[in-house]
Amino acid sequence: MSKGARAGAVLVSFAVGIALILYGIFGYLRSSPAVVSAVPSASQPNSVNLIMQVDGAVGVGPHPNWVGYWVQDASGVWHQTTLVKVPVNTNVHVTVYEYDSGGALRNAVWSQVAGVQGGTVTLNGTSLRVINPSLTTGNGIAHTIVVPGLGIQVPLYGVGASAKNFCATGPCNTSEAHTVTKFSFFSGNQTHKYRWQCFVPCGLGYLNGNGGPMTTLGYMGGFIEVVGK
Amino acid sequence: MAIKTTSFASGGDGGRAVAGEKKGFRLNAFTGLIAGGLGYLFGHWMGNAIAGGYQQVIGSGQNDIAILLGFIFGTIGWFLGLGILNYPLKKMAGIEPPLEGYEFEPGVMKYFRFTLDNKVVGIQYLFGMLFYFFTAGLLALGIRTELLSPTNHIWGPATYLEIVGEHGTMMMMMMTSVVMGPFGNYLVPLMIGSKRVAFPRLEAAAFWFTPAAYIILLSALWQGGFQSGWTGYAPLSIQQGVGQDAYLFSFALLGFSMITSSINMTATIINYRAPGMRWSRLPMIAWGMITVAFTMLLSVPILIDGLYVMGLDRSVQTAMLYAGHGGSSFLWENLFWFFGHPEVYLLALPGFGLTMEILPVFARKPLFGYRTAVTGMVGVAVLSFFVWQHHLFQSGMNPDMRPLFMLTTELISIPTGFIYLVGLGTLWRARMRFDVPMLFMLAVFFNFLFGGITGVYVSDVPVNVTVHGSYFVMAHFHYTIMGQLIFAVMGAIYYYAPLYFGVKLNEKWGKIHFWTMFIAFNSTFLPLFALGLLGMPRRVFEYAARLQHLNQWVTVSSYVLGLSLAFFVVTFVWQLAVTRPKSPLNPWQSRGLEWQVGYPIPPGNFDKIPVILSGPYEYGDPNALPVADLTPAEPSAVGVSSGGEI
Repeated sequence: MSKGARAGAVLVSFAVGIALILYGIFGYLRSSPAVVSAVPSASQPNSVNLIMQVDGAVGVGPHPNWVGYWVQDASGVWHQTTLVKVPVNTNVHVTVYEYDSGGALRNAVWSQVAGVQGGTVTLNGTSLRVINPSLTTGNGIAHTIVVPGLGIQVPLYGVGASAKNFCATGPCNTSEAHTVTKFSFFSGNQTHKYRWQCFVPCGLGYLNGNGGPMTTLGYMGGFIEVVGK
Repeated sequence: MAIKTTSFASGGDGGRAVAGEKKGFRLNAFTGLIAGGLGYLFGHWMGNAIAGGYQQVIGSGQNDIAILLGFIFGTIGWFLGLGILNYPLKKMAGIEPPLEGYEFEPGVMKYFRFTLDNKVVGIQYLFGMLFYFFTAGLLALGIRTELLSPTNHIWGPATYLEIVGEHGTMMMMMMTSVVMGPFGNYLVPLMIGSKRVAFPRLEAAAFWFTPAAYIILLSALWQGGFQSGWTGYAPLSIQQGVGQDAYLFSFALLGFSMITSSINMTATIINYRAPGMRWSRLPMIAWGMITVAFTMLLSVPILIDGLYVMGLDRSVQTAMLYAGHGGSSFLWENLFWFFGHPEVYLLALPGFGLTMEILPVFARKPLFGYRTAVTGMVGVAVLSFFVWQHHLFQSGMNPDMRPLFMLTTELISIPTGFIYLVGLGTLWRARMRFDVPMLFMLAVFFNFLFGGITGVYVSDVPVNVTVHGSYFVMAHFHYTIMGQLIFAVMGAIYYYAPLYFGVKLNEKWGKIHFWTMFIAFNSTFLPLFALGLLGMPRRVFEYAARLQHLNQWVTVSSYVLGLSLAFFVVTFVWQLAVTRPKSPLNPWQSRGLEWQVGYPIPPGNFDKIPVILSGPYEYGDPNALPVADLTPAEPSAVGVSSGGEI
């Protein structure tokens, strides 16, 4: 083989190697769920609405039977994600439709509400500071929304696992069994990217429930990114 | 006593052409990939057929049995596709197989085949190891890029931990063979005057385990990774997705590679030394290899045992490592570190072997305190089995055991000090030549000083309580492994390129590579000590904002380090494949036996078994005998001696 041919082969090999590396980075490792931005209305520039649902099985993607979140964008379209953006210096009004079943808590601390405006959430229209897992029908706590950087902790009351119209797979709709939790928080006066996570082990099929969806972005953990207006 | 071997029936001519053997299509790495892929599909299908209906599988959507069976059959397919199993299978069927893999073959295709020539295996290992090292290095840059900012993220948190786990596992498991593979396999038979290794099939198979392990380990990234990191602690390792199966299986494959390689190396050094190659004349690389081989043989089976237990817990729901089901996570921690801490030394010892080998050549002095250096190596190898619990000081272990393991760990600094002082003694009043290999060897001593001394600190229980799990510990072990081992390997590549390839690498480019790598390495890892003392924990992708500037400094330095290594890759490949600057024979004027056979080295290494006349490090002694008689008048034997005195 001539020197020129050898040089060509080396250069082609390098190019292929670099292409493979870039594909690995951008084709897989950098891929992430969609990001939903909460935008204020013209009439209420200092507040946004954030509407989410939690499904026992998200129904789409690489793990359709994993528990996870869907988030509604400004046009009413649901996206299977846990990445949201909210504006800085804004009151964020969150509505969570919980379609998953719950259970007893291993630590009663997780039943406390913290870090939200007024120190309360409304569960199915009732204002509460503590969500007792054995509340009413004893459905238990399904999940928690915890944002350590903002001090937020909100337990989400589950639905009865034996409900006749239990939503088997997402995206679910309000004709199916669900609970509704509403709360508000202030996004703060600086831009930041806050990690949030469900702290109740809820990954069915995993020991203690801490694997799979609990450790994967787009299912039971995500980011609330506070961005400039 | 001489051990005689038959001349060829058992492959004893060490690589000569097999007359009349049928030529034509031969199995290779590409057929291996195809067979491996088919094997994986078959195993996966079988796993789904067996366990697809299990409640655990239905609930989690995860079938570990299918994944592990896929890996098992994939690996069997890989070996079948490479032709590695042809010989034993035919033997078992009562067919006398041809001695495939011994013939001399020009061109590059031999590097993609199962071959029994120790020099081809050495070069396969060299490029394989460099490939694995640079893959893991790229992952390290991914880690550092994420840490540019405490709040703006490049990766998701789980992806970050996947990258950390992949980087750590690939470095720690693959680099166990970075010296024994490329240098032990290639050089030891030449250094001890042997025509071949003891078990060439095991040697070659040991290499072909590594690409399978690499592919499987890397595949974890596409399967959700494993956030347990390279230590694989339970219960996290039991709770993880199928990426953890890739971790445990690839690590076990590397374990088999280490064992087979070590069996071959031990048997070769003990039984295949030429007449006159006394233990007191054994080159330091060979000492490094035999101490490491014994260490691997005694420690790696424990790791494989632990991985087997992990695999059972994950796939068939046994409860040996998971405390919630009656098992014990301490079981894994002990099984893992009983391998894991000797492993740190089986990374360091070969690096010291290379250093001790190369220093006298450029110091032009005998190795100072040969017996002291050997004692140091043996001492480190033996003591390495009595220190593993220092990794568990914070685990809740019996506190009364901590002083014992603190003591044994601190004791190991004594034989390590022997080796270090032998190096310094060799340099004392030497008229050194500062060629590129020597610069790397000097850097080994500089870097290891930081790694070694901080090792004494972190082995101390009160200090360990403070710095455990911090960047201080990370800086410590990067200094001992990358600062020592990888610098030694780089120096050895420059040193042995004339012997391996007939090419002398450009000195100016080599010095650019060395200085940029040396400065960038220290600029990257020295601040990590400070970061650790300032409270930065390992394995977090968000950290305190006050640590951002130091982290940015480290990240930028790591980019320079990456560029320096990229510069090496480009210049190395360019010179080997394109410009091919021809090297004179023995350009460093080494006394080593391996340099006396000329270039290219014949397939059987030596025309006749040489007779060793003196040690390899008698530099500067005008009365020193030549190292060996390569054409002894009376052939000692067709085979070899067990190293008997002459």
